[in-house]
Amino acid sequence: MSAALGVLLRMALRNLVVHRVKSGVVGAIMFFGVFLVVSGTAMLDSIRASMEKSITSSLSGNIQVYSSEAEDELALFGSMAMGASDIGEIDAFAPLRELLLGIDGIKAVVPMGIATATVFGGTEIDRVLNDLRVSTQAADAEGTKMRFEQLGQIVGRMRKDVALAATASSDPEKVEDNLASLDRVLAPGFYDELVADPSGTLDWLDNKVAPVAADGRMLYLRNIGTNLDTFPKSFDRFRLVEGEMVPEGQRGILLSKAFYEKQAKNYVARELDKVKKQLDQGKTIAEDKTLSELVARTATQYQRIAFQLSPVDATVVTEKLRAKLGTDGDLATLLQSFLTMDDTNFADRYAWFYAEIAPKIRLYELPVGEEITLRSFTKSGYIRAVNVKVYGSFEFSGLETSDLAGANNLVDMMTFRSLYGKMTDDQLGELAEIKAASGAKAVTRDSVEDDLFGGGGGSLETETTTTTGAGFDEFAGVKLGAAGSAGALDTTRYTTAQMEDGLALTAAVILDNPDDVPAMIETIEAAAAAKGLKVQAVDWQSSSGIVGQIVMVLQVVLYAAIFIIFLVALVIINNTMVMATMERTTEIGTMRAIGAQRPFVIVLFLVETMLLGAIAGGLGAAAGALFITWLNHVGVPAVADALVLLFAGPRLYPVFTASNLLFGMGSILAISALSTLYPSVLAARVPPVVAMQAKE
Amino acid sequence: MSTASPGIVRLTDVVKDYPLGKVTVHALQRVNLTIEKGEFTVIAGPSGSGKTTLLNLIGCIDVATAGEVTVDGKSTGKLTDKQLTALRLNSIGFIFQSFNLINVLDIKQNVEFPLLLQGGMTKAQRAARVDDVVDKVGLRQFASQRPNELSGGQRQRVAIARALVTRPAIVLADEPTANLDSVTGTQIIDLMRDINHADKTTFIFSTHDDKVMKRADRIVRILDGMLEAAGLSEARASGVIENGGGVHA
Ligand SMILES: Nc1ncnc2c1ncn2[C@@H]1O[C@H](COP(=O)(O)OP(=O)(O)O)[C@@H](O)[C@H]1O
Ligand SMILES: [Mg+2]
Repeated sequence: MSAALGVLLRMALRNLVVHRVKSGVVGAIMFFGVFLVVSGTAMLDSIRASMEKSITSSLSGNIQVYSSEAEDELALFGSMAMGASDIGEIDAFAPLRELLLGIDGIKAVVPMGIATATVFGGTEIDRVLNDLRVSTQAADAEGTKMRFEQLGQIVGRMRKDVALAATASSDPEKVEDNLASLDRVLAPGFYDELVADPSGTLDWLDNKVAPVAADGRMLYLRNIGTNLDTFPKSFDRFRLVEGEMVPEGQRGILLSKAFYEKQAKNYVARELDKVKKQLDQGKTIAEDKTLSELVARTATQYQRIAFQLSPVDATVVTEKLRAKLGTDGDLATLLQSFLTMDDTNFADRYAWFYAEIAPKIRLYELPVGEEITLRSFTKSGYIRAVNVKVYGSFEFSGLETSDLAGANNLVDMMTFRSLYGKMTDDQLGELAEIKAASGAKAVTRDSVEDDLFGGGGGSLETETTTTTGAGFDEFAGVKLGAAGSAGALDTTRYTTAQMEDGLALTAAVILDNPDDVPAMIETIEAAAAAKGLKVQAVDWQSSSGIVGQIVMVLQVVLYAAIFIIFLVALVIINNTMVMATMERTTEIGTMRAIGAQRPFVIVLFLVETMLLGAIAGGLGAAAGALFITWLNHVGVPAVADALVLLFAGPRLYPVFTASNLLFGMGSILAISALSTLYPSVLAARVPPVVAMQAKE
Repeated sequence: MSTASPGIVRLTDVVKDYPLGKVTVHALQRVNLTIEKGEFTVIAGPSGSGKTTLLNLIGCIDVATAGEVTVDGKSTGKLTDKQLTALRLNSIGFIFQSFNLINVLDIKQNVEFPLLLQGGMTKAQRAARVDDVVDKVGLRQFASQRPNELSGGQRQRVAIARALVTRPAIVLADEPTANLDSVTGTQIIDLMRDINHADKTTFIFSTHDDKVMKRADRIVRILDGMLEAAGLSEARASGVIENGGGVHA
């Protein structure tokens, strides 16, 4: 039979050569299919490996352990369903930590909690009102007059904005109300009102006018509560960028660098950064419509700089701009024309902006060293406010530009518990004391909470939208009891036990050997079950949420592409082979007549396509391997920020494995066989009599 | 079996009908024929008379509508496709009007093909067998060429070699000279005849050419699907000829 197989191979090979065009077309599809499978699966595997590195070493650890009574799946990097996810609770972290540390192969266990909060970023009007308070208190008539003029400018702009937006508003009454308040400020007698009753008038401005500011910067923070003392040791990608670590045992927050850049930065600076980035990618303002629109829009926001400059700085900047631009005009005109940039002057003006203007404005909200008020909507239905100091900013090395990696900020466990809203008796007592002792840091705005939670959550990417009161009703039944008061800054030094032992939501587990994950998950769950702890253990892919799903999505897309190309291959091979069968009936009939059995004919056709599959597929696999090797050499740049997390850095250096090649070859051989099944059966049915009917 | 001599081929009251749309073509009508081992028989008749149909039945590549066909001692009516194929492979050699060689194989490989299907021989045994028949048909120097590099006569010699290589009990040739000029055609028939004389291989071939049919030992005439009482060629007259039943429709 091996001799017969030899002649089959010989015939198949020669048939392939004789029918070159057909072989070429089918071979090309096979080549491309296998190329896609090999390079695609190699890329996917490499991305999965690099993502695993990114995620395990930045936030998740090798394994995450959380309550088995969770309603939702853990999503450390956020999930599609924002906000309301219930991942259960670990009421007492200590027993779980002891249990986990007792298991051989576990290096470290870090407590974690997730709590979202918002923080009020302040607006130009806030600062002007603050300044007004200072100058009226100091009875500084000159200063008061100047600040009042600034206020007039801001309110004038706000009035225009509100009037413009009025037609689109769902709440005309509120618009009327806002317009009335703004008109009162712009009315001739208002300055006298302010001078007559500075404190009362300023309170009214705080409550009625400031909230109207469309620019009211409600920033959304996603916080991971953790043990800030042990976190950097267990997650080696953590890097402090600015400031200092939160002192041991103290409360504090570390804001992510990405949060500063993407959300807390001055609007104009942020937009200019965006333009710069796109120009760096090779786009031009002249040719790219979106980009030119972005530049134009940024120029209209010149007030966001103008209103931030102190009167002295305003004069300085005006002079400098006149010299730079060589034109006359007031600050507004000059800024506007300065910000109207094109491809020729952008680089120069961008640098000039950061050198001359940026140092004179508040470039970032919530700067390092400042005390901020975090507000959260707790489990128990209260809105809670917590004052906490920003000790520093951080990033995960390699993932600097990843929005997703930068989506989380880090807080201590105490602050997490306050925001989360579940406290121990001790803490509740303590909080009561604090509340009693303070009251100074009261937050003036009643409407903060409306803005906060009324806007419908928002996504990770939101430019914190300050809504004009839409969604007010959602708050109808909410107990707003302790809403506003944040209390004084808590400077207590807590012990590690106090920090760690209470409530946590998850435990991040770091393994000695990361390859042990599946076995370890079983070990952990078994050990926990034996101790009666209701927890579940998951790997990084299921714990990371949205990010883990990216791999799934990529996989689906890749497999869909592979499926389509193979389906096309299947149809084309099938059709060509059916045609070949028709063309070759005499040959088939002759073979049948002189004694070839049906299976021989079937095998002949199968061998023919599978041989082509092996040759073309082999070349495709080799090309795929070569392509991946080349990519490994040069690195695949993470052209979009979202890719940085996937690539675990600015470039991905993919590798291929034997299993990628085997999968590619296996699938093309299977497709070859499958697609030839019908034609070969058709061929086997050719009756031997056709041999007799043949005409030369 | 009604007659004393079983014959290598024996047809008893064989009918072959072809359904053709609404009508039925009676291609063979109650044919009775016995061919003895070692005979060199021609089936002679004009085009459309049923020669190919008859050879198809003898060659086990088609089955009779009625009657019995016995080949090399086996009644073919109840055999499966697989058994019929095996019978063709082991007992019958085919020579076709259009040569029907496998174009992607060279001469030697074409000749070797049936041996590969049979299996059970070593490479050396096969080579010896192939060389022997290729020599016999006088194509030694063309052994490694492809069929399309040869003339029609040469190709038909390859077909003869291929038909002989398994040493079959019967060699069937359906109008083997129809695609050849008369000189070449005569040479081919003479070659077959020489082999028949030398090896006692049974040959049954068909033709509508008078010159060709005269070279056979035995002539079986066919017309409109019925065998005629046939004269014997001058060379030999040992064949038993049974006239077809000739029942008219
Ligand atoms: N497959 C077929 N279907 C219908 N009629 C056929 C078929 N093959 C042969 N015939 C008819 O049977 C008769 C005998 O044909 P055939 O055996 O080919 O004659 P010959 O070989 O002597 O020319 C003819 O009338 C022919 O038209
Ligand atoms: Mg014929």
